[in-house]
Amino acid sequence: MSEHRWNSRGAIAVAAAGALVASACSPGAGPTGGGELGGVELTVAGKWTGVEQEGFEAVLASFEEETGASVSYESTGEDTGAYLGPKIEAGEPPDVAVLPQPGLVDEYAEQDALVPLEGEAATTLDEQYTDYWRDLGSVGDETYGVLIKAAHKSLIWYRPGAFDEAGVAAPETWDELTDTTSGTLSDAGITPFAMCGASGWTLTDWFENVYLSEAGPESYDQLAGGELSWTDESVVQTLETLAEIWDEGGMMAGGQSGAVQTDFPTCVTQVYGQEDAAMVFEGDFVSAPAAEAGATVGEDAIAFPFPAVGEEPPVVVAGDIAVAMTEDEGVQELLAYLASADAQSVWAEQGGYLSANSEVTADAYEDEFTQELAQTILDAGENVRYDLSDQVPSAFGATEGAGMWAILQDFLRDPSDPEGTAEELEQAAPES
Amino acid sequence: MTETGGTTPPATPDASEGAAAGDGTTAPGGTGRLGPPSWLALVFLLPALLFLGAYLVYPILFSAYRSLWDASGTEFVGLDNYLKMFTTPSTFVALRNNVIWVVVAPIVVTIAGLIFAVLTERIRWSTAFKIVIFMPMAISFLASGVIFRLVYEQDPERGLANAVITTVQDTVSAAAAYPDANPRPGAPLAEASGGGYESTEEVSPGETVFLPLVGVQADELPEGAEPAAEAAVGGQDELTGTVWLDFTRGGGGEEGAMDPEELGLPGLEVQAVRDGEVVATAFTENDGTFLLEDVGGGQYTIRLAADNFTEPYRGVTWLGPTLITPAIIGAYLWVWAGFAMVLIAAGLAAIPREALEAARVDGATEWQVFRRVTVPLLSPVLLVVFVTLMIYVLKIFDLVLVIAPGSVQADANVLALQMWRVSFGGGNDQGMGSALAVFLLVLVVPAMIFQIRRFRQESQ
Amino acid sequence: MTTPHGEYEGAPRRTAVSRVVGFLGSSIVQVLLVCIGLFWLMPTLGLFVTSLRSPQDNAASGWWTTLQEPAQLTLENYASLLDNPSFVASFFNTILITVPSTLIIVAIASLAAYAFAWLEFPGRDWLFLLVVGLLVVPLQVALIPIAQIYGGAGIYGSILGVVLFHVGFGLPFAIFLLRNFFAAIPRDLLEAARMDGGKEHTIFRRVILPLGGPAIASLTIFQFLWVWNDLLVALVFADAQAQPMTVALQSEMRQFGANLDVISAGAFLSMVVPLVVFFAFQRYFVQGVMAGSVK
Repeated sequence: MSEHRWNSRGAIAVAAAGALVASACSPGAGPTGGGELGGVELTVAGKWTGVEQEGFEAVLASFEEETGASVSYESTGEDTGAYLGPKIEAGEPPDVAVLPQPGLVDEYAEQDALVPLEGEAATTLDEQYTDYWRDLGSVGDETYGVLIKAAHKSLIWYRPGAFDEAGVAAPETWDELTDTTSGTLSDAGITPFAMCGASGWTLTDWFENVYLSEAGPESYDQLAGGELSWTDESVVQTLETLAEIWDEGGMMAGGQSGAVQTDFPTCVTQVYGQEDAAMVFEGDFVSAPAAEAGATVGEDAIAFPFPAVGEEPPVVVAGDIAVAMTEDEGVQELLAYLASADAQSVWAEQGGYLSANSEVTADAYEDEFTQELAQTILDAGENVRYDLSDQVPSAFGATEGAGMWAILQDFLRDPSDPEGTAEELEQAAPES
Repeated sequence: MTETGGTTPPATPDASEGAAAGDGTTAPGGTGRLGPPSWLALVFLLPALLFLGAYLVYPILFSAYRSLWDASGTEFVGLDNYLKMFTTPSTFVALRNNVIWVVVAPIVVTIAGLIFAVLTERIRWSTAFKIVIFMPMAISFLASGVIFRLVYEQDPERGLANAVITTVQDTVSAAAAYPDANPRPGAPLAEASGGGYESTEEVSPGETVFLPLVGVQADELPEGAEPAAEAAVGGQDELTGTVWLDFTRGGGGEEGAMDPEELGLPGLEVQAVRDGEVVATAFTENDGTFLLEDVGGGQYTIRLAADNFTEPYRGVTWLGPTLITPAIIGAYLWVWAGFAMVLIAAGLAAIPREALEAARVDGATEWQVFRRVTVPLLSPVLLVVFVTLMIYVLKIFDLVLVIAPGSVQADANVLALQMWRVSFGGGNDQGMGSALAVFLLVLVVPAMIFQIRRFRQESQ
Repeated sequence: MTTPHGEYEGAPRRTAVSRVVGFLGSSIVQVLLVCIGLFWLMPTLGLFVTSLRSPQDNAASGWWTTLQEPAQLTLENYASLLDNPSFVASFFNTILITVPSTLIIVAIASLAAYAFAWLEFPGRDWLFLLVVGLLVVPLQVALIPIAQIYGGAGIYGSILGVVLFHVGFGLPFAIFLLRNFFAAIPRDLLEAARMDGGKEHTIFRRVILPLGGPAIASLTIFQFLWVWNDLLVALVFADAQAQPMTVALQSEMRQFGANLDVISAGAFLSMVVPLVVFFAFQRYFVQGVMAGSVK
């Protein structure tokens, strides 16, 4: 979940601006007393800070207004697991926690630290979300969590100026991307890609997108669930496909060895600030560093959907899952509210937000670009998938210098042996 | 480093000085006629004993015990954690790197310290020099790590180390004008055996060849580049042609044809080759045309010389998997050289002048004096410096964590870092973590014995 | 190397030659040392200049280009860092960790060192040898056991836990350093005080502490810098609210390139106090470090 590092970092930059908003929507600004939950006090813990926190607190404020409860938000800092662990042990968890990865839902459910969704919260999840999202927040037969905020991770950002100079358009298939688009850019003397190889999670995102599109959602789920071996032909095939870009030093700024040393969002700066490359792959959150590098998002920083490698283009999503940790009064009501299209529409107005709720329509979003993003999620429907590396144990999927991150970094350095890489992944993958 | 220029702590009976200490360290005799009762000593000692017990003695015992249990602490596994330690690849890399560290770093630092100490001996501004070299000891490894992360940056435009190296390299061999240029696919050009590109078809004098290249951004062409022109047909002993950038800005140009907006590639070295011999050489004009003169009859290949396409030298990949450990040792040297220098300089100052003079009178050269007299007299101090460095090197942690980028953390791993990673930084296997900690402790035991023996010798 | 004494003791005909050689040698050594000195300063200078440039400039070019365009220099990184509440909090945490742990170590260690040096009790020598042995124990050994104790005591993550850990691990060295110094205080002075009927605590206050001043100063400076610069202990025992500057900066390292503005300014700020202490008290600091050899 390291991409959120960026967000919190970005938050520092805009902290001053955020402070202005804070006074308008801090908790306690809403009326107290009244409503069916008058006098009830709830705590919510999540890792958001700065602007993200302001957006979420606006949603909480509207809940307070509707019900009369008072909700306080506490930030967990970067490592939500490390924050919650001792609190759970001490028997003093927050009423609601927002978890940055599904792996934590499993972990806490096994420790009996979670309370299953009931009543309206459960119904809302059933009716307004696709089955996939319900399953993602479930362990065994019980449903615990609801994905209240999504990040779109199937985008390739580009610099229109570079595309114009080379006379190319956004590609729709992988072959177009590698042949026409990248080939023509190279001919024009423009390096096609900036890679963020030093940030291992961007490489797992590459893998996930290609795999989801090439092998299909079913294999994707099996691979995530440990039912499919990493030495499976489909994994090798995906690595071979990736090598079509990764094996070409000329395809990326700094060549492969430079790419492995470029972190996110420095790679974004390479495209928009230094103009060393034309495209960079990553999620919707690229807009923040692109803007910081001086580009106007929507004009000279545009994204196209990750092209189809197999039949359908992939839509990979990451996001934050809200769970109940106590049985106190008002907890289930708060979760039901957070899951609802109403609450999420409020959030959408704040900007920097995407919903996974099927009933939040595209026009709930302020800007055209976010509307398009939301539409691709809605269109993909049942085929949307959650970031695979965040579904597997973090020792394999999200650890610096180990597991998927390190193995894919090695593969970026030298993509000559897909079978060997698949073998390494299998060995590093947790036994199931 | 002080105003006296001397580095021996004036008043402190310093334990670090093997030769000089020993006077004050003897405990007062055991008569104690006027001494207070023993219980009073306990009062004075109690707080310290509590802390030592809780933070050192108990943890050592507990770690040893804990290392025999599994990750969650519920199952007794005997020596399994220790076995795993030597068989798990990631721990093994840490072990191997620690060996490199312990062998290389103390030697390098001690030698540097010795050299600095000797060189500064007769310099008037030696105090200033020593302050400069010693200063890194005062700042955190984290800050030192940040400093060297900057130095080792790959991009020669940002990393100081590579900036220096590439500048030197570039003065030796200048960068080429068209490193990224390559033939338009389908053009009658192929890669030449010795680098560069050559025409796939042979031509005879009087003929004209057109060689399309791509992969150069129009903005980056040398100033004065003009629209490409078809070269005029040359005379009986001449070969002519055009090399141009076959890419129209914004796309749309015809491949292999000189479209109106396309520019010539000026300054390219073109060769006429017959039977592997270069017969004539020419450089292209601003419109991309070239004229190879004074060629005899026969068939020629036209070659675009390799020099045109030499990739610029990108410097050394300091932070890559192969060089990361030496690179961090470099940073370590920067931090610790001052320590070694100051201790050794104090040792040098303590060497009796007469011993040196006697050797000189006997006609020994300076080098002989150094080898035969100075170094042997200095050896106790050198040993202390060396052992101290070894102990610190065994525990090296911060520098590796900070300097090695995420992608090479695994390659740069060391035991102390692995211990932290395994037990706190995500691994959560405190059985294995305890085993690593105990192993580290075992490694410093020889130093512990050395320390105790040295202390007892001095006390007598 | 010059041979100042060899000149007149050697054969006379070598005098002129060796004088020239000596002069040349000395100049070469001087030039060499100047180069080494610059070489040593350059990296720190690089960090400082980098911290004074905007992120855009740092992404585009090396810090040394500032020589040509001094207009690049800006205090913006520092301004935004000092506006950032979490960094400011971490600065105060560093102080809240460093000052108490230094004071507690000095207090406890002086008492113990006095006992080891001047009080008679059974097993004293063996106990002191144990302290000498504990000097080299790697602190990694204590991380897991202490973390468990802290978990039980409810101080895991707190500043108090970090402070106590530093005290525990700083003690062997502190006792060792002070005891050696106290033992060197002339016996007569103590005997005289005891003859006068002084109680031990009075002797400790009136005789030992004043005479032990230089050693206590060395210890204070050394411990202050040691704790100020610590990363590992705080990384393990401090949570987000208690983290000192080193930990706050370390968490930015994962995106080194992108966070360079924060990291460079923060790292330099974290160096300012140690450097001031170093230049102000370098004699004491050097003594402390040297006494710490074979720690």
